[in-house]
Amino acid sequence: MPDSHVLLKDSPGKHVLLLGNEAIARGILEAGISVVTTYPGTPASEIGDSISAIAAEAGLYMEYSTNEIVAVEVAAGAANCGIRALTAMKHVGLNVASDLVMTLAYAGVRGGFVIVTADDPECYSSQNEQDNRFYALLSNLPCLEPSNSQEAKDMTISAIEISEKLELPVLLRTTTRIGHTRGPVAYSRLTKPNLKGKFIRDVKRLVMIPANSRPKHPVLLKSLEKAKEISEKSPYNRVMHEGKNKEFGVISSSSAYNYTVEAADLLGLDVSILKLGMTHPLPEKMIGKFLKRHEKIIIVEELEPYLEMQIKAIAKDYAPNVKIYGKMNKPYFPREGELSTRTVATGLAKITSKKLPINFRKIDERYAEIAKDLPPRPPILCAGCPHRASFYVIKKVAGEKAVFPTDIGCYALGIAPPLNVGDIMICMGASIGTAQGIGKVTSADTIAIIGDSTFFHAGIPGLINAVYNNHKIIVAVLDNLTTAMTGHQPHPGTGITGMHNPTEKILIENVAEGCGVKYVKVVDPFKIKEAEATLKEALQYPGPSVIVFRAPCALMVVRERRRKGAEIVACKITNKCINCMACIKLLGCPALIVEEGTVSINETLCVACGLCASVCPYDAIECPEED
Amino acid sequence: MEEINIVLAGVGGQGILLAAEILGTAALKEGLNVRVSEIHGMAQRGGAVISNVRIGEKVLAPTALEGKADMLLGFEPLETLRNLKFASEKTLILMNNEAIPPPGLTTKMMNYPSLGEITEKIRAFTKNVVVLEAAKLAEEAGSILTRNIVLIGGLVATGKVPVKIESLKEAIRELVPARYLDMNMKAFELGYKYVQKKTKLAF
Repeated sequence: MPDSHVLLKDSPGKHVLLLGNEAIARGILEAGISVVTTYPGTPASEIGDSISAIAAEAGLYMEYSTNEIVAVEVAAGAANCGIRALTAMKHVGLNVASDLVMTLAYAGVRGGFVIVTADDPECYSSQNEQDNRFYALLSNLPCLEPSNSQEAKDMTISAIEISEKLELPVLLRTTTRIGHTRGPVAYSRLTKPNLKGKFIRDVKRLVMIPANSRPKHPVLLKSLEKAKEISEKSPYNRVMHEGKNKEFGVISSSSAYNYTVEAADLLGLDVSILKLGMTHPLPEKMIGKFLKRHEKIIIVEELEPYLEMQIKAIAKDYAPNVKIYGKMNKPYFPREGELSTRTVATGLAKITSKKLPINFRKIDERYAEIAKDLPPRPPILCAGCPHRASFYVIKKVAGEKAVFPTDIGCYALGIAPPLNVGDIMICMGASIGTAQGIGKVTSADTIAIIGDSTFFHAGIPGLINAVYNNHKIIVAVLDNLTTAMTGHQPHPGTGITGMHNPTEKILIENVAEGCGVKYVKVVDPFKIKEAEATLKEALQYPGPSVIVFRAPCALMVVRERRRKGAEIVACKITNKCINCMACIKLLGCPALIVEEGTVSINETLCVACGLCASVCPYDAIECPEED
Repeated sequence: MEEINIVLAGVGGQGILLAAEILGTAALKEGLNVRVSEIHGMAQRGGAVISNVRIGEKVLAPTALEGKADMLLGFEPLETLRNLKFASEKTLILMNNEAIPPPGLTTKMMNYPSLGEITEKIRAFTKNVVVLEAAKLAEEAGSILTRNIVLIGGLVATGKVPVKIESLKEAIRELVPARYLDMNMKAFELGYKYVQKKTKLAF
């Protein structure tokens, strides 16, 4: 990752290789966006992180909010004082924020406000692959979709301008491939941020009681008409290539557009391609004109047939005889997973009766021969991860019969053998609530597993419910003092803000006590005996209980030690070892290796956490004392 | 210039994304159009990591087509094997011989294939295979963590990367933390010389 200061260079015309997310950060600086809020989530995290690194120097305000709806609230508050604002989140974050967004569309904003939603086709790091373009339809808010880093930057600026023109929040919808692909970005001038806002009292506009919101609905619909005019003239909606082939025309957007151009090239298919960058509202007249020019239209888009549904409706008015190919009736392109040049080329070849110049089947067969015996390499908990110690304790004490609702974060990796902790995981915070339902109707001990950042994000209402309705559950908060999975962002328990200022450190145990939990304990998961005794006691407790398993993320510990120049001496296996495999079977630590029946320790990976030494029944592992 | 596709594959923590960024940055320095794909999130947790560097005027998509990699830079033998679908008989494969067995093989009753088995399978795809001891060379340079730069040095030595050495060195200077720069420059030289010597013998 380049030093984020690269983003601060006021050198118009300079070309820099940026991730789509970094390009959005640059767009923030060029647009003079002055309030940036986020809750970290892959594939959106680098937007907030890049800004956090330079916010103070750039003179803008940045915060990691407790969750996405709070992030949007803070930004919407500032935007309603005339300040330019942006909130970034992953796609499912918009579910959390949607309660506010749906009605904010009625109230509107005065300063430009952009909501970045980063979708994740293929579920690279998410629990679903929902298509958030439908939020644009649902809320009636305009939506822009970049197809590369340059557009990601440019559209951030355009989105702010559209937002101010319409006095509405604007959605900027990216995907994993947009946010996490590097491409050249040409810089324009930076704009100085402005944090001096003014709140103008306007109850009719901003207080959404029924009497005020009722008349705001037609206002919103009128704005949507204006947005449509913008869409018709938008430079992002245009025919990118006029093809010689007059039979077929292609309509595409975002990542799908990139695959389409390369796939058409591969097939020697010289077709006109209408690229849509503003995908809500659609430029109806422009699309209608394009439909009329062709006998057959191919729509290439990732995930749901969002464009296809609407274009079919447009076709009914403009070109009722045009034949439309996509994914709705006969699926030429998959509706699930991410697209690729291959899947698009395959679909295009079928529709146009062209022959694929590459024999993919032959490649697949040849590869299958090689791949069939390959051991998989799924992501796992790091060597030295404190969660491994917590899971070891939890599994040992609670046993196989207990049910473990788990949550979103690194600790979801606890489901892998040999730890096998994690029985239901749906969304942020759901571990605590689902545990209560399971506990109510079964006789199993229910232990909810939740991380520190997730606890602050969505765990607290569930915990209050457990106290209020007296659900006998144990909430195990695996507190590694950071938001680890998304790249070590601070959170309310870390005592540091997104501006890198020190702040009140909110302790999870105090929150739990404040919520009325009577049994609250904090343990160090590496002190196995104590942790076991505490969990045993909690299992006997008649009401809801909270145990905070607290130890810092191993990656942070190692980084800190490296920064200090301290050498990390790995654990050692002594001649007492009889290769009983207890450490292997109980822990699944990547630093413990078996070769021809003999256990050894990988010195590069081992960070000397000492967990293996604690569980070894023969006392055959030596762990160096920390200096 | 023809389109050039470089596929980088290995294990989270080996510095694959930085290596890809260095290659992409060097290409941009020469005014070339480039796309570098990354997958984040799981990268640090020991999972398989793959990145594509695509250079060429018409390049738009983040990933190369199957069979279309000009170069496959393998950071780890098993992961090199896993990504052979991007290779063809025309692909040049540069592979680090440092085996990192996925954890849990014992419980799954699976074995890590021998290096001989792996290279044999790779050679069935392409004869252009160079194996180098990147970990050893990295240690020699000062830290195992410079193995990614050793591999870049090696890749450049093959003469197939369409960027000047000076641009690559400049990209390394920009992207590697200043206090580790000397170590990384040494790693680059060691990788470069190793492959230069080896390919002279081979071709």
